[in-house]
Amino acid sequence: MSQELIKVTVNGQDYQVAKGARLIDVCREQGHAVPSFCYYADLALQASCRMCLVRIEKMPKLQTSCTITCTDGMTVTTESEEIEKARRGMVEFLLANHPLDCPVCDRGGECELQEMVFDWGGLEERFREKKNAFPEKFLSPIVANDSQRCILCKRCTRVCDEWMGEDAIEAGGRGVNTVIGTYDGWLNCSQCGNCIEVCPTGTLLDATYRHQARPWELSQTVTTCTFCSDGCQMSLGSRAGEVMRSVARDRYVEGINGEFLCIKGRFAHPFVNHEERIKTPMIRYRKGGRLVPATWDEAIHYVTEGFEAAKSAYGGAGFGVVGSPRLTNEANYAMLRFAREVVATENYAGTEAFSLAPFFQNLGAPLATHKDIRHAKTIVLIGGEPEELQPLTGKQIRQAVRNGGARLIIFNHVPIRLKEQAAQFLHVNRGTEDAVVFALADAGNVDAAARKLGVESSALADARRAIEEAAGDVVILFGGELGGAAQAVLAQLPAAFGAREGRRFLFHPLPLFNNSVGVHDLGLMNGRTDAAQLLAACGESVRALYVAGSFLPRHFEGRADALSKLDFLVVQELFETETTRHADVVLPAASFAEVDGTFTNNSGQVQRVRQSIPPVHQSRPDWMITDALARAMGVEFGYEMSASRLFSDIAANVPAYAGLRYPALKDESNPVQARHEVFGARDVSGHLQTLRRRVESFVETEDRQAWTPAVGHELFRPGTLTGKTPQFHLLDAGNPKPPTVLVSPLYQLTVDRSLRRASVVAAGD
Amino acid sequence: MFIGAIGCEPLQLRRVHLEGSHTLDVYRRNGGYEALKKVLDGMTPDDVVGEIKKSALRGRGGAGFPTGMKWSFVPKDSPKQKYVVCNADESEPGTFKDRYLMERDPHMLIEGMLIAAYALGARTNYVYTRGEYRYLINIMDAALDEARSAGLLGEKILGSNFSCDIYTHSGAGAYICGEETALLNSLEGLRGHPRMKPPFPAVSGLYASPTVVNNVETLTAVPDIIKMGGEAWQKLGTEKSGGTKVWSVSGHVNRPGVYELPMGYTDMEKFIMEDCQGMLNDRQLKAVIPGGSSVYIMPARDILGRGVKMDYEGLVAAGSMVGSGGFIVMDETVDIFESTKNLIEFYKHESCGWCTPCREGTDWLVKVFKRIARGEGQPDDAQLLLDLCDNIEGKSFCPLGDAAAWPIQSAIKKFPEDFRRHLQGIAERAVVGTTSSAAAASHGAAGEALPTA
Amino acid sequence: MSSQFTPNNPLPQEAPVPREMAVFSPEVEAEIDRHLAKYPKERSRSALIPLMFVVQRERGWLDPAGVAYLADRLRLRITDIWEVATFYSMLNTKPVGKYHLQICRTLSCKIMGADTITEHCSKRLGIKPGGTTEDGQFSLSEVECLGSCGTAPMLQLGVDYHENLTPEKVDELLDRCRRGEYEFGVKVL
Repeated sequence: MSQELIKVTVNGQDYQVAKGARLIDVCREQGHAVPSFCYYADLALQASCRMCLVRIEKMPKLQTSCTITCTDGMTVTTESEEIEKARRGMVEFLLANHPLDCPVCDRGGECELQEMVFDWGGLEERFREKKNAFPEKFLSPIVANDSQRCILCKRCTRVCDEWMGEDAIEAGGRGVNTVIGTYDGWLNCSQCGNCIEVCPTGTLLDATYRHQARPWELSQTVTTCTFCSDGCQMSLGSRAGEVMRSVARDRYVEGINGEFLCIKGRFAHPFVNHEERIKTPMIRYRKGGRLVPATWDEAIHYVTEGFEAAKSAYGGAGFGVVGSPRLTNEANYAMLRFAREVVATENYAGTEAFSLAPFFQNLGAPLATHKDIRHAKTIVLIGGEPEELQPLTGKQIRQAVRNGGARLIIFNHVPIRLKEQAAQFLHVNRGTEDAVVFALADAGNVDAAARKLGVESSALADARRAIEEAAGDVVILFGGELGGAAQAVLAQLPAAFGAREGRRFLFHPLPLFNNSVGVHDLGLMNGRTDAAQLLAACGESVRALYVAGSFLPRHFEGRADALSKLDFLVVQELFETETTRHADVVLPAASFAEVDGTFTNNSGQVQRVRQSIPPVHQSRPDWMITDALARAMGVEFGYEMSASRLFSDIAANVPAYAGLRYPALKDESNPVQARHEVFGARDVSGHLQTLRRRVESFVETEDRQAWTPAVGHELFRPGTLTGKTPQFHLLDAGNPKPPTVLVSPLYQLTVDRSLRRASVVAAGD
Repeated sequence: MFIGAIGCEPLQLRRVHLEGSHTLDVYRRNGGYEALKKVLDGMTPDDVVGEIKKSALRGRGGAGFPTGMKWSFVPKDSPKQKYVVCNADESEPGTFKDRYLMERDPHMLIEGMLIAAYALGARTNYVYTRGEYRYLINIMDAALDEARSAGLLGEKILGSNFSCDIYTHSGAGAYICGEETALLNSLEGLRGHPRMKPPFPAVSGLYASPTVVNNVETLTAVPDIIKMGGEAWQKLGTEKSGGTKVWSVSGHVNRPGVYELPMGYTDMEKFIMEDCQGMLNDRQLKAVIPGGSSVYIMPARDILGRGVKMDYEGLVAAGSMVGSGGFIVMDETVDIFESTKNLIEFYKHESCGWCTPCREGTDWLVKVFKRIARGEGQPDDAQLLLDLCDNIEGKSFCPLGDAAAWPIQSAIKKFPEDFRRHLQGIAERAVVGTTSSAAAASHGAAGEALPTA
Repeated sequence: MSSQFTPNNPLPQEAPVPREMAVFSPEVEAEIDRHLAKYPKERSRSALIPLMFVVQRERGWLDPAGVAYLADRLRLRITDIWEVATFYSMLNTKPVGKYHLQICRTLSCKIMGADTITEHCSKRLGIKPGGTTEDGQFSLSEVECLGSCGTAPMLQLGVDYHENLTPEKVDELLDRCRRGEYEFGVKVL
């Protein structure tokens, strides 16, 4: 939109509006209510619901204000007898075949159609005919569908296509028989559920929540998702201490993700109140014995004794303290202070999948927000698979390309689905991604790198030139494929490319966890060791370990029995895991839904985690447990049971968080980015040397994955948390279509070996 | 069935009776491709558009938009590929003229399209034919092959610098694809939903490129306009409705068929009673729908002795429209309630479902009609029907909503007795065993909603 | 301290198994190529409807294998094909009889006696409009205006027009079909 202002008159009042503004937006911003169903900002125009009709002078008919671009001198009426009749007529049409089963509809109470009828509906129903009926059915284990309630606004089909790039759900049939559905009535997609979210009626329904609660019974709590590093904002709906659902509906929450969530964010919350949650503190009084429930006082006493004994025997060096990128900044900072102040050790680490420390230590450009990605002109993706691991980022990339015309360049050894959107896809050899950075760092490296990558030298040179000659924002995203030296060199690419008028570099790392960036910021990743090394040292230099969360399976590779060698192991967890198997004390931690705190996302945005329900059973927030242990061992952190106080402590000690306070983080629609230090040109010649040697060591053999992994190959994997939602197991087993779609697949299918082997073909792959 | 011209020299139907009229040979021996030669021999694209403008040719598909003006909307300086698309999705009930034009004289369409393509700078062009007219697609394909072998299509046509090709494309059963933007969606392999306008096809049509969509009869008029000159062609008709028009006549007449008449032909009564050889079985004329099902129905009293002129202005003055020229004649045995029910069922079936008023409105209307037909009419149903039509008309995404509303509005207005009969009959039946005052009340109510004839 | 992580590496994965896909003769493939040649290369979706007719001719209806073929050939999603196939009345997403009688029911035919023809067919075939005979030979449908108003009433058999119908003509037509003597006049090319 241009900055030029033009005059528009609405209901006799004059307004100066930006040239090119959309009439419906102008009317609404100026307080002239214009109803609509199908209009949804940032989605293709539809103009089908005909609710937003207005009268524009000199135009013959009523006009849909969603399709009108304001012109100078336009005179508009949004309220008149004629318009009122048209709107009432439209609502009457929409209700004609609508079942009016609000008392049994999940959406009753937060249904846009219901609200519209309150405003524009008639007092009596003139429709006396038989309503068209469609059976209520399941489209997948997670999406239920009641076609009869559909008003065909097609928001669902548009988000599926435009946001998700999946086009899994579409309108079929014609005329009054038009239905939203799929080819064979079964939805093989990433099951993001965004179609459910944007549905203004109860047509598409969350099958995990269906018939469980009414909206007005729920307390809504705005919080940050606990699953990936994107940090989507969501609203948890809870009732009587139970999390019932998670939504991103704009009536409750307005975060970086809009109404977008992925399958995990939307459907994987049942772990919170799952029966397998660790309910009480548990003590293993004898090595090899079983865990015995204990009171908190007993447990804290027992831990204190164990830690004191280890401390006197081995000193701080015998201790290991392990935080987790899945826990809040508050929990991790308490762990860090525990390490430094209570047991005086430098052996602290986070259970990260990979370290971004070399990247942050050489950061040569700011981190890109998700909005930056959406409006970027050039996007470079090295490794990673955001559509599966950081779905919001994936969506923003897709929209940048499809709606914004961005140029997407992808380097990956797997032909990931995003390659469909790419202007250039360079299919590189497995494990050679570092060579991409090597080539980008200097044009002279292109030939050598291309040989190792197994791509045409000219293609690589083209990609490099596209960055060199780019105008507008260049966002560079990278996954865990890059080694430390490559990360450092990458972080300094802006200096390598030099300044260019109109071009701005932005970085967007793709770590895996909700607080990955937070654990880096706090310094947990800058200790003398990392999670795998700590495990390797167990029973050797390290004799006592205090772990919040759990190690990843990859940390145990080659050292499966590491934890059994310890003298003393204390673990705070939600569920029993491989890490708790050898613990001497297991302490029940509260989940993200039960605590106050913050997560820092992959854009560096520090966002609030808010308590939706009281901690379940006897669980406690991680930081409170750490605080209690510290106090029992004679160190007072001074937090006085206040997460906010703890966060002030972080702000006082972590430069990137200086000055931040909870009140400043209150507005989720305006998230605060941590101030990561951006360095000018730094000498990375050492890193470059390392990188060169590393690239030279690559063997020049062709090794690329030939096929595109199926939708959901990462998203559907039942993990410790997601596995608590039974539907994930069906999806992971290939989402087989059950014998009938009228009954939930959960009641029809059992996940056994035969199902797991069933061939999996996703529609639309 | 009759095919021929009345009141003028046959232009569109000049060759239809010739043996092998569909072949290139016959077409050429009877003046075919002379207009194309004339164009390539020295007319500029602007000259061609100028002649079309002078001819006062109006779109023959139904909307009657001036063709020359439509052509002049195509941006000349656009670097994009341009397209001419022939709309042969003839689906308006009562209309079958394009079918015979294509069946008997496919080369006339090819020549018209070539001239249009020359005028607009289009290299690739499509004939979108409704899928049910499969045999016509085969005829067109054969004619196109012939033309291609004769150097009339392809590179450097007739030795000029003009290169152009035409391809057939099949619809698959959807009336809405006769709407030009729905047609373009269908041609792109999408559902046949109309597109938002603006942008109009002339700016952003097929593949988002400048496109002109013209009806078959519009394009087949082009060769004669070029040959005769626009002015001469216009003079065959009236000032605002130039040339001749091909009408499809069906229903209760002795000689249904395809009639070419000069625009402004007078009068409609003579046309029915003499040219179409009068009413079948000598029954009384009751009503005529003159322009395909989407126009207002005309009662006999508005035709007989009224001297109705058969052109755009004349029919508007007489209370209807030229539309697609699909002339449906109905005699006294037809119940206008039943005929209107038949049409609204058509519109319900053909509503694409995109917008609320058309999708839900046509469904509701059909349900009311069916209920009344079952004998369960309510006294206020006529008012309900009119109000529903009012809530559709002018508020739908494309003109199909209007097209569904108009036949009902005009039928109730012009034939209230046919509706009253259905509603009154019910009122009387409903009150058997009740008091007569209740019967009188219902009776009165049924009458109130309906205008008097 | 660099620990490389490759998300796609450690997962047990299988390549997707392709769904069953229709196979056509070289002649039909050549015909499909001819259709595709009409449209700009990057606009091959334009050929969807013409190719659906080819698949329908070859396989009787748009069966899953035929749809899979179309999706593969035109690089479309299955849903893209579903949404189009269900919009148009001539595209069959369910099997239809070999002889598909489609009787025009719109106004001109209606006032010229279409109902009589429909009732007659119904009686002779023992099925209602919308139905298919048990042997799968005949399907009966009522369809909207086929542009044969001047020669009403009429029906379409396959894509052949049969006009100015009388019950006697219908009988003769049905008998020919029953005896297997009916030759379809118009071909989908």
